[in-house]
Amino acid sequence: MRIHRGRIAQHKHDELLRAYLKQNLHELIQQKELVVDGKVKTQLTTLDLPTLRYGDEEAYLAQGAGAGGGGGGGEEGVQPVGGMLGGDHHGPEVRVELDFEEFVRLAQEVLVEELELPSLQRPPRGGEVETEDFPELDDLDRIGLAADLNLEETLVASLLRNVRERGVLDFDVDLRQDGWYFVEDPSASRNHRSLEVYVLDISGSMRGDYLALVRKTIFLLWYALERRYPTNLRRYVVFQDVAEEKTREEFFSVESSGGTHISAGFEKALEMLEGVSEYDTYLFLFTDGETSSGDFELAKRKYEEALDRFDLVCYGHVNPGSRGVGGFSEYVQEVARKRSNATFANLVDLDSVREALRQFLARVDGGGKARCGSTRRSSRGWRS
Amino acid sequence: MREYEAVIARVEELARGLGLRWDPVVFRMSEVEEIAEVASMGLPNRFVHWYWGGAYKELRLQQDKSLLSILELVLNSRPAYAFLRRSNTYLQNVLVIAHVYGHADFFANNHWFRKSNKNMLNEAERHARTFRQYEAQYGRETVEQLLDSCLTVASTVNAFERDPTRRRRRLVYFLEEHAPLEPYEREVLQAVREEAEYFDLIQRTHVTNEGWATFVEATLLRELLSAREWAEVCVHLCARPTPYTLGYALFGAIRRRSGFEGALEARRYYEDVRLIDETLTQDLVDRLDLFVYDPRDRSRNTQVDAVKEMLIEQKLYRGEPRVEVEDPDHPRDLVLVHVEEGRKLDPRRIALYLKAVHRLWRHPVRLRANGKLYTYDRRGLSTA
Repeated sequence: MRIHRGRIAQHKHDELLRAYLKQNLHELIQQKELVVDGKVKTQLTTLDLPTLRYGDEEAYLAQGAGAGGGGGGGEEGVQPVGGMLGGDHHGPEVRVELDFEEFVRLAQEVLVEELELPSLQRPPRGGEVETEDFPELDDLDRIGLAADLNLEETLVASLLRNVRERGVLDFDVDLRQDGWYFVEDPSASRNHRSLEVYVLDISGSMRGDYLALVRKTIFLLWYALERRYPTNLRRYVVFQDVAEEKTREEFFSVESSGGTHISAGFEKALEMLEGVSEYDTYLFLFTDGETSSGDFELAKRKYEEALDRFDLVCYGHVNPGSRGVGGFSEYVQEVARKRSNATFANLVDLDSVREALRQFLARVDGGGKARCGSTRRSSRGWRS
Repeated sequence: MREYEAVIARVEELARGLGLRWDPVVFRMSEVEEIAEVASMGLPNRFVHWYWGGAYKELRLQQDKSLLSILELVLNSRPAYAFLRRSNTYLQNVLVIAHVYGHADFFANNHWFRKSNKNMLNEAERHARTFRQYEAQYGRETVEQLLDSCLTVASTVNAFERDPTRRRRRLVYFLEEHAPLEPYEREVLQAVREEAEYFDLIQRTHVTNEGWATFVEATLLRELLSAREWAEVCVHLCARPTPYTLGYALFGAIRRRSGFEGALEARRYYEDVRLIDETLTQDLVDRLDLFVYDPRDRSRNTQVDAVKEMLIEQKLYRGEPRVEVEDPDHPRDLVLVHVEEGRKLDPRRIALYLKAVHRLWRHPVRLRANGKLYTYDRRGLSTA
């Protein structure tokens, strides 16, 4: 049997990297541009032995672009060749970069440990999986999607009904009565699907601790949700005066500016619901609640609409300074007490994130009961 | 391996015709993972340390996609072990085989390599076993910290240094002789130093060695391949990293000047400093598009003297600050001096570096650099 020394060494290396991240997570996570080209850049130059280095930036040997040099980035058309010549450390230092997925995984590990959350089992498939990855449909149900209609069973059902009710051998299909659909076999698969819409307020005041808190919360939400929904669809919205859908990368690299129109955020989120009727739908909105005065009434109406159409609306009042809850957040806090599919979280620090998660997970695990308030109910429901 | 037997025999025949001589070569067909492992650790069966883990991870990622992936690996041992990559095409492996004979010839004939330890494979294995035993005896953490310290000071070795007085100014030799170490600690330091010398030799002959191997490879392949295959191969040859192309160009220049005999002579007596110093011309610098780049004003210096000086300095000192023991005859106090006083050392690394030295020296360690005197003792770092 071969001893995989490389893997063992890598494991040791990653342990140290984790320790570093653990110490510096709070600073790392607030970087305005968290993701660049799918990577999270750290300030860590490399996990290195503590050998001495020159301090100042100095001239180094380089080769023109197109040559086979290698190593770190640097100026365009300038490839530092130092490293290639063995042990040389001139030129731009290569910073440790992590794939975003890996960063999230490490951050989750750190946060879960810090919050002493129960560690959840991983699903067989993980991560963000979009709609192409349908679960295998190998069972039949009377309720389902038109696209999954089982023609054979449906026609047989129609024939029998027509014989029974009208006494004629006729294929006069009435979908409401005859339809049979392909669905997942619930005993064979626990594939739930969810639509998660993340809405982030990026008006002027949102930076630093604010971003750190939001991102930590989102990573922890992912941690919980990914273990429940191996096939989830995530969409990202940012808003200030207007709302825009963003890619994941853009969502984690925001520039804050402008005023606050919470209604715009809700409105955009509602647009995301189009065509995803078979999903469990979640809306997570993060804001400091200081919506422009003229927007208050409209925001209320949009919030009500979101409550009617989403299975669960989580409102995170981001409040790292631990001030009182006022403005629109106060209103939401009131409503959330009455509506079973609304949660309100006052995000002050990591402890309050734990409380928010606990509430949220209680709703999820409460299953159908918590969902009574929802006027729309997906055919698949919860199978937990 | 069978399919390569014929081509290996043919390559050997051609190489012998050119006047090459070598110790037996054992070829091994290996997986990408194994090659990445050996490349990151330097030797198979070497002790496992987190430091190689980062390189291993990086190499694993590179192996699959980039042109820079390692096609081949040869060890300076008797017999020489060469690793061929299973995922290479037939033609790629023919290239590799020809290249390997260049290395094998260099190992057997180069003045510096002839005297090198050809039993390093077994040595490394023995070291690894000893370290594992010490881990069990003294605790994993203790041995790991010891190894961190040893590897940190081990960069002060010089495989070419023959003068005993100069040698004693080098930190690693000084510590080996005078540090108040436990017997097992001294053994570990010695083992790490031996391995470091082995790698130092490789580093100091890197350009010559790779240049010669590429030069031999090209010479053999011109005989071996059809015109079409040769054209295909040329693309590969040009995409090699800088030490390969630089060394190849230098040997080409020697052959133009004094024939293949001259090249054979050079491979016998030269190491990188001499090869570069005697052979690099302005014409070659221009053709290879080499220059000294200054990031402060984004200027490029393409003068052969500047390029040559920087290359040689890198070869002599690896671009690392030169720190020497001030007075090796009074081993009670350890005072280190940064030789090039004018250049600033990165202050962030000084405390970590001195801590690592202190771990071995136990008594206060001083460093004269940046116009200050740093002292590290049990209470930590202080500056005067």
